[in-house]
Amino acid sequence: MNELKDKIRENLKTVIDPELNINVVDLGLIYEIDVPEPRTARVLMTLTTPGCPLHDSIASGIKYCVQGMEEIDHADVQLTWEPAWTPDRMTEDGKRLLQGF
Amino acid sequence: MFQQSSGNETNIKLPFSFIGFSMLALVLSQLLILLNGDLLVSGIFRLPAIWSAAHLFVLGWALMVAMGSMYQLVPVAFLTPIWNERFGFWQLAVTVAGIISFAGALYFRPQDAMIPGLLTLLGILMFIFQMFMTLQSQAKPNILTLFVGTALFSLLATISLGITLVMSMKTGFASEYYQAIFKTHILLGTVGWFSLLIFGFSYKMVPMFSLSHGYSMKPAPFVFAIYVVGIFLLIFSFMTGSHLLEVSGTFFLLAGFLTFSWHVKKIIDKRVKKKLDRPFMFALFAIGCGALIHLAALAASAANLFSTMAGPIILLYLIAWIAFSIIGYLYKIVPFLWWTHKYSKEIGKKKVPALKDMMDEKLALPLFLIFTAGTILLLLSFTVKLMPIFYIGQGLIVIGTVLFSYIIAKVITI
Repeated sequence: MNELKDKIRENLKTVIDPELNINVVDLGLIYEIDVPEPRTARVLMTLTTPGCPLHDSIASGIKYCVQGMEEIDHADVQLTWEPAWTPDRMTEDGKRLLQGF
Repeated sequence: MFQQSSGNETNIKLPFSFIGFSMLALVLSQLLILLNGDLLVSGIFRLPAIWSAAHLFVLGWALMVAMGSMYQLVPVAFLTPIWNERFGFWQLAVTVAGIISFAGALYFRPQDAMIPGLLTLLGILMFIFQMFMTLQSQAKPNILTLFVGTALFSLLATISLGITLVMSMKTGFASEYYQAIFKTHILLGTVGWFSLLIFGFSYKMVPMFSLSHGYSMKPAPFVFAIYVVGIFLLIFSFMTGSHLLEVSGTFFLLAGFLTFSWHVKKIIDKRVKKKLDRPFMFALFAIGCGALIHLAALAASAANLFSTMAGPIILLYLIAWIAFSIIGYLYKIVPFLWWTHKYSKEIGKKKVPALKDMMDEKLALPLFLIFTAGTILLLLSFTVKLMPIFYIGQGLIVIGTVLFSYIIAKVITI
């Protein structure tokens, strides 16, 4: 199970925030990945700011990405503002990429 | 709180149609100014060709861009979908017909500008109604609602006063108040509508584009209050002819603008993204220009020279503060719109471009240098009253508008 979660997380690195050009995992937008039943995934995510214009695009991108995996048939993407995103949630790679801009 | 989808995406055809028309109006307005330079340099602003150019610039470009941008930004900034998109397309058609016929009438037969003016008024009223209905359904109004709502109210007052001016010209109605109405029309159209709108949306866009976190929004109500007091004092000065009120009004406008500039700096200081995009830097540069223009207005007023300096100050206000801000933000808004249209269904399935890749950022610096140099030369030509300097300055601005239109049009090829 944990292997599958890790694989989903790794796959999500292909989904970028197009404004920052950094993937959603390194940005720290992915809070939780769960596999509640076989071939079904649930992703709990946030955005860097409420009212982000790319909200629907990024959420859909995450859904497409997970559902595109051969191990998953259905992905449920949920957005939360609690706790709010902070820069501390970024990975070291994410921070390095952001400073590079 | 869980949420599946914001449901706040706007049909991009709507904002794009507004922006597309606005670019044509921009180029045409600047060409008209270029062709009537001899009058402008002589300090003569109140002429049919200049009225036509000014309204094409302010209504045809800046207002249409603002409307198009609001159709995109209001849903995302206020987390509220547009009330009725179909109504938005009808509003677009009416407003475009109104502005084209109004600018044409002002140029060829100003005395017949009433009906086209009313058509423009109808288009703008439809927009205000659309935004009123949209903002009304906002779950939790905030300080941005106050800025944008007051800006919309100023727009309504501006066009009502504009129609009163046309009526006064045609029938003699309220002719003894013509000057006060005219000045209030200009003040509310520039300071009341555009500045409050740019303030409001800057509070959303500045943190977003700089990825700022942990900043305070406490100064924002003070910015609003000080600036609005300045607007009221200036309107009272127009009605009473009081010089003291005029100086106080320009002082409060400067104080409000400086508080806004300081607040934006505090937000930028809290940014995570250390290197900011060039076009966004240009929008920030516009804030510096705006502060200097407000200072110039106060100095002119204190020296009792405001009436003679008003033309160049208003022109600079429109170019270096309002136009530069809009151009800087459009550099971000247009690629976002096209990206959403073309790639939002592709993200997660295949590699998609970043927003930075959607617009030629290499052209941004030359473009901004052309606009800045053109504006400086234009200002110089008013001071030394030399036509060649005017033609070079305004010629640069025309080249800049054509280049900018090309950059905007090129986005949809990516």
